[in-house]
Amino acid sequence: MLSQDIESPILQVSNLKKYFHVAKGILHAVDGISFNIERGKTLGMVGESGCGKSTTGRLLVRLHEADEGSIIYDGKEVTKANPREMLALRTKMQMIFQDPYSSINPRHTVSSIIGEPLKIYKKVKNSQEYESKVHSLMATVGLADRLYDAYPHELDGGRRQRIGIARALALEPQFIVCDEPVSALDVSIQAQILNLLMDLQEKFGLTYLFITHDLSVVKHISNDIIIMYLGQIVERSKTDELFAHPIHPYSQALLSAIPIPKLNARKERIILKSEVSSPINPKPGCRFAPRCNFAKPDCSERDPLLREIIPGRFVACHYAERFL
Amino acid sequence: MTKQKASQNPFFTSLSRFLKRQYKNTAQFWRQFSRNKLAVVSLILVLLFALIALFADWLYPYDFVTSNSLNNALLKPGEKGVVSYHDKEFEHLFILGSDNYGRDILGRLVHGARVSMIIGFATVAMALSVGGVLGAIAGYKGGLFDTLIMRLTDIVLSIPTILMSIAIVAALGNSFFNLLIAISTSMIPGYIRIVRASIISIKDQEFVEAARCIGARDMRIVLKHILPNITSPVIVQSTLNVGSSILWASALSFLGLGILPPKPEWGNMLSEAREFIQYAPHLLFAPGLAILLTVLAYNLIGDGLRDALDPKLKR
Amino acid sequence: MDRILEVNDLHVHYFSNRKTVLAINNLSLSMDRGRVLGLVGETGAGKTTLALSILNMIRAPQGKIVSGTIKFNSIDIFKMSKHELHDLRGKDISMIFQDPMTALNPVLTVGDQIAETVFKHEKVSKAEAWEKAEAMLETVGIPQVRAREYPHQFSGGMKQRVVIALALACNPKLLLADEPTTALDVTIQAQVLDLMRHLIKNHNTSVLFITHSLGLVAENCDEVATMYAGEIVEYGTIDQVYGNTFHPYTKGLFGSLPDYSEGSNRLKPIPGLMPDPTNLPKGCYFSPRCPYVMPVCKEEHPQDSIIDGHLVKCHLYRRNNDESKNR
Repeated sequence: MLSQDIESPILQVSNLKKYFHVAKGILHAVDGISFNIERGKTLGMVGESGCGKSTTGRLLVRLHEADEGSIIYDGKEVTKANPREMLALRTKMQMIFQDPYSSINPRHTVSSIIGEPLKIYKKVKNSQEYESKVHSLMATVGLADRLYDAYPHELDGGRRQRIGIARALALEPQFIVCDEPVSALDVSIQAQILNLLMDLQEKFGLTYLFITHDLSVVKHISNDIIIMYLGQIVERSKTDELFAHPIHPYSQALLSAIPIPKLNARKERIILKSEVSSPINPKPGCRFAPRCNFAKPDCSERDPLLREIIPGRFVACHYAERFL
Repeated sequence: MTKQKASQNPFFTSLSRFLKRQYKNTAQFWRQFSRNKLAVVSLILVLLFALIALFADWLYPYDFVTSNSLNNALLKPGEKGVVSYHDKEFEHLFILGSDNYGRDILGRLVHGARVSMIIGFATVAMALSVGGVLGAIAGYKGGLFDTLIMRLTDIVLSIPTILMSIAIVAALGNSFFNLLIAISTSMIPGYIRIVRASIISIKDQEFVEAARCIGARDMRIVLKHILPNITSPVIVQSTLNVGSSILWASALSFLGLGILPPKPEWGNMLSEAREFIQYAPHLLFAPGLAILLTVLAYNLIGDGLRDALDPKLKR
Repeated sequence: MDRILEVNDLHVHYFSNRKTVLAINNLSLSMDRGRVLGLVGETGAGKTTLALSILNMIRAPQGKIVSGTIKFNSIDIFKMSKHELHDLRGKDISMIFQDPMTALNPVLTVGDQIAETVFKHEKVSKAEAWEKAEAMLETVGIPQVRAREYPHQFSGGMKQRVVIALALACNPKLLLADEPTTALDVTIQAQVLDLMRHLIKNHNTSVLFITHSLGLVAENCDEVATMYAGEIVEYGTIDQVYGNTFHPYTKGLFGSLPDYSEGSNRLKPIPGLMPDPTNLPKGCYFSPRCPYVMPVCKEEHPQDSIIDGHLVKCHLYRRNNDESKNR
């Protein structure tokens, strides 16, 4: 089904599902998604609030338990790992969180936040080794030595995010889920952190799942992009191809919605109708149909499947061929 | 093995770093706290009382304040009287006067301070340990544990405190320890609630998720991540509880449970003073004022602490 | 063209922990009727402080408008009485705050909140105010039957539309929009801004559009001003500033954008951080981070240089200005 890979991908996700039971019914947060990520590459996962991207990230590092589906990391099934196996997996799969203000413990110093993984896994033999390892991690992410004993509230968002990155690197993982790592930062700090993430990927051969709602951010850092809507994948393409020519109507709308900081930029904007439908007890058929400007009657009856329209481009739309 | 200079010894460097951090924290806390002038005054007052309580025996020997000296009964504050103590006779200045048994009121107040202080801190410590653990289990585990513990708490809360205290003392007997049990039992539900609510609000924060992500297990998460972040509501509640605990002890002693005369305790001093309100009001005012000032001081400290501790977290 | 807003030499300070935060430093700005001015800057630049100053809502003792004047329609705002200010706010000058989740009162229906403002400012009966509220909701695309619902029953995008309806209910002459779409999804943002553009054009409202997004400014504004450390460092029409950027900070902002239409791999962020507002550097505030820094930048604070109406606060252009004077 998928195009040939030279070596097997480091991460294989199949038919992943996560449902939440809420008062009004069942919330389909992640509804049967499948994707692969190859070693050393970055997969961008883009969608607006409620599309399930953050839940997916957390499912991968087992902060949530999947209801169905499989996550195979380097040959091991993550969803069925026992606590001991999970501990071993955690040294390879880490996560960088979105909010630099709430993802680090305000009562711990910079060094104890970064060094905690080392302590948990007893990776260092004595306090000297610990200190030197923490200092080297701080240097890797660009934190000054003098901040070793500082507290988070003394630092700005950019530095706090660097602490989170250093913590994720402490166990020398191979795969990192980046959950909107720059969304809460100012524009010039965003650029600094994105450059850092790209440098780290080059230096350590890391594989990233880069989750964001901001398409412009993901263009620089991703090789491939998945667009998500209400728990499902609606399009998957290589980055350049997606930006040059988005196929799915939602992808088109998403791209057209990005404000362009240039003179006389495109003035025609695709405005979607109404609001996102509810992920609770979703009706059959395409979930984007209520907002789609091109929807036909049968769009709300049959579920569209993700299919390879042209080599390397996957779209979930009954009429995808029309947009080629 | 190469020798290390004392200054390079890793133990000393981490100790000095630890001390420097604590100093930084304390200095910042004090800056915030000292803005509230009332709280600072109250703190000084409480420390003063604590000192007096500590040195009670040096100021007024215990047997002196518990033995009768009927010829000196009901002296006004500032009056002098002749007392016979250990077969010696000497003139003694009754700074706050004497009660109907001729005992020095100030002396009894001083010893009562010691009793009150012990009761205040001991009951809070007991209530905090039991309530804190139960609240932590209810908040962190949730589910059945939470339901069980909260319903038990509701039951205890629905019993009027006075009746419960009386029942406990009546059932277990009239001793100091049983008094502590009676008082701390009434404070336990409050701690369960506070600790549970704080834990619930913290445990969904991203840094707890992050801790789980790097492999921390439940024990580590609760001890190292959650508990340090709930200290401020707990501390504030505790200072307020010390004050109310002292009030309760006084109330129970007043009613004849708890500390009984001739042991000096502010509450039973109040009780004994009732008959003499008309012609020796100082018997009433002295312990009454002591209770008032102490409880007020603890409450003001609690207020000051709340203001000093909370903004730091928000920042 | 009427001059609707004139800010002159404004200085605003905040006081905390025995330190003084220099939030706004010698800021001057003017707006004409019907124009949309984009105010761009990062966190801490002072944009929200400026908006609050225009409404004279800087609270003592934490904050103080130290000096300067703000004239709305030629009337000095700082000399207005409480009563006059009450009339001004919500009617002549309106504000949209950043977070729609907290801008609405959760215990009042959305209809009530809009009607309250109408009732207070226009001389109408309560019934008429309610009708006007329903009409406003329709103009922002919310069916008027929903006027009796509470804020929590609306999604983020719809709440922001209610906030816009609230702000425009009394047809203000000046709208202060503080990051009105930052908290919204990109597709909803497009919807909401489309709506706002429409309404503003219809009523010839002047808008101060505060944002950190250069893209939004390009698409929604006529003029743009860049703010840094409490000052306006560049100002001009969109054509001027986007076509021929002067100030190094503005250039840096453009440079750090992940511009998706170009292929370059690494971004060019501005090194360093915004200066500590309690301890601003000597000379030009941007000098520690400026790639074009000269010795004079660290000593002397730059003055405004205006070239064909395009303003910049930078020593680089002062030399050019002087040269053109000498010719």
